[in-house]
Amino acid sequence: MQDSYAHRVVKLGAGLAVAVLSLGTAAPAKADRTPVTPAQLKAYNDVFIAEVRKGDLLFHGDAAMAKKLGVTLSTTGMACAMCHPMASDTHPGSFPKFQSTMGKFAALRDMINWCIAHPNQGEQIDTDSEAMHALESYIYWSNSGSVLDTGKY
Amino acid sequence: MSNEVDRERREMATVLRPNGARPDGSLQITRRLFVHKALYGGAAAGAAGAALTGWFPLINTMTMAYGAEAPFSFAWISDTHLYPKTVNTRFVDKATRAAKEVQAMHPPADFLIFGGDIAQLGRGAELELGNQILQEVKIKKYFIPGEHDWYFDMGAKWRQLYGNPNWTFDHKGVRFIGLDTISRAPDYWTPRRMTPEERMDHMATLDGTVAGPWAGVGNDQIAWMQKTLADWHKDAPVVIFSHNPLYEYYPPWNFWVRDWREVNEVLRPYTKVTNIHGHVHQVLYNEIGTMRSIGMLATSWPWPYAPEGVPKLTVEMIRVDPGDIYDGVGWGRIHQTSSTRFEPQYMMWGRKEVFAQSAPDSSSFHPEVLRPRIADNGWFYPD
Repeated sequence: MQDSYAHRVVKLGAGLAVAVLSLGTAAPAKADRTPVTPAQLKAYNDVFIAEVRKGDLLFHGDAAMAKKLGVTLSTTGMACAMCHPMASDTHPGSFPKFQSTMGKFAALRDMINWCIAHPNQGEQIDTDSEAMHALESYIYWSNSGSVLDTGKY
Repeated sequence: MSNEVDRERREMATVLRPNGARPDGSLQITRRLFVHKALYGGAAAGAAGAALTGWFPLINTMTMAYGAEAPFSFAWISDTHLYPKTVNTRFVDKATRAAKEVQAMHPPADFLIFGGDIAQLGRGAELELGNQILQEVKIKKYFIPGEHDWYFDMGAKWRQLYGNPNWTFDHKGVRFIGLDTISRAPDYWTPRRMTPEERMDHMATLDGTVAGPWAGVGNDQIAWMQKTLADWHKDAPVVIFSHNPLYEYYPPWNFWVRDWREVNEVLRPYTKVTNIHGHVHQVLYNEIGTMRSIGMLATSWPWPYAPEGVPKLTVEMIRVDPGDIYDGVGWGRIHQTSSTRFEPQYMMWGRKEVFAQSAPDSSSFHPEVLRPRIADNGWFYPD
C-alpha cells in the first residue's frame, strides 16, 4: 500500500531527526525501520575516513600521531610507506592466508605486526588497538577496488 | 591501466616511435646467461670460479662500434638513503658493502657513478656519512643528486661535497652526461610557510601529494644538453645518467621527468643513447624512440612495481623477501666489451635469480587498484 502524503512527511521528519543525531554521534541506524539518509551516510563515512586519515599518518611515519596513540611503530627510520607507497604491495585482499614470510597462517593484522617487529624494529601493537584499526582502515581504503582473492600467495 | 595513463602511453608511442624507431639496429631481444662474480669481502673471484647465477635479458647488445676504443667497465651505486648511524645501521652496512665490492672489482672499474639519494633527509651529517663511506672507492667518482639530498638546504651541502649537479665527459669514445632531474620542483613550500624540515619531509615521501611533479630537467638544462651534444656524431654512443627515468612511467611517484617530451626531442637525432637511472629501486627497462633506458637497484630497500605503467619491455625482478634486508637490493656493473657490447649487470645481494621466473615471483603478480594519500594535503592557503 502506498503511503499517504502526511505519513511520508512524518517519516521524513523522523529520518532527519536520526540524521541530526547521527552527525554528532554516528549512532547505529535502525536499519530495519528507517531508510538510511544521505546525512547518515555522510556521518558513517566521516567516521571511517577519520580512521583512514589516522592510519595514513601512522603508515607514513607521522611522529605526532604515533605519540598520540601511544605506539612505537619503528625505531629504524623506516615507515610502512617506504616499502609500500600508497599501501601498494600489501594485498589486503589476499588475507587471511599462509604467509610464507612468517611461516604460518596469518591475518592482515598479523602481517602488520610482523613488519613493525622486523623491518621497522618497532614495538608490536595490540590487535584490538586504535592504531591497528587505523592502519587496517588505511590499507583497505587505499586498495579499494582491488580484487578480493583470499588465501592467494 | 587508467584512461589517463593509457592516453599518455599512446601519445608517447605516436610521438616518439615513428616508423618503428629503435635505439639502434643491432639490438637483440634475447636472453642470455651472464656471470655474476662473487666479490664479497674483497675477494675477487676469477671467472673460472664464478657461478652462473642468473638471466640477464634484453639489454646486452648495444653496438658501440663507432666509439669503441678499448673494453672498459664502470660501476653504479645509488639510493643509499643514509640516516645517521645512530638511527639506522642497516643502510650504512649496505652502502659500505657496495663500496667495498665496487673497489674489489677485478679488473677495476674505470669510474663510479653515484646516481643520487645518498642521504634520506638531506642533512649535512647524512651527506657527510655518504662521502665518508665512498672514500672506500678509490677510482674516479661522479655524482648526480637525488631529491632526498637536496630539499633540506636546497643543495648547499651537496654542492659543497660533490660539486656541480650536472656535467659531461668523454671516455674511450663514449660521451657521458650527468643530469640533475631533482632541483627544479615547483615551489610548494613558500606559500605554505614550511620549515626546511617540513619541505624535506614532503619531498622524502615517495607517495606524497604535496611536492607534486617535482622531477624535471628544465629548459636551461635541456639547452645545455643540446649544446653539449652539438659536436657529437649522431651515430656515436651517448650515455646519460639521471636520478629519475627520462620517460613517463608513473608520475604519482615521480617515476618520470615532467618534460620527458622535450628531453627526447633533443636526443632523437642520436641513434645510440642509453639512459641509466636510479630512483625506482627496481629492475626496469624501456625504449623511447632511439633511447634505451635502464633502471638500477638501490642499496637501501626495493620499491614494488607501480600499479600501472610498467614498460612492456621490462622483465620484472623477483618478488622480494621482506625478512632479508639484503634481498632485492645491490649495485650495478656496466661493462663495455671489446666486441662492442654494453653489458649492464645487476649485482643483487642474496639472490641467485635477479629476474622473476614466473608470475608469482613478481610484486606485480596481483593487479592493484590504489588510491593516493589523503592525510598529507589538508592545508589551505592563508587569507
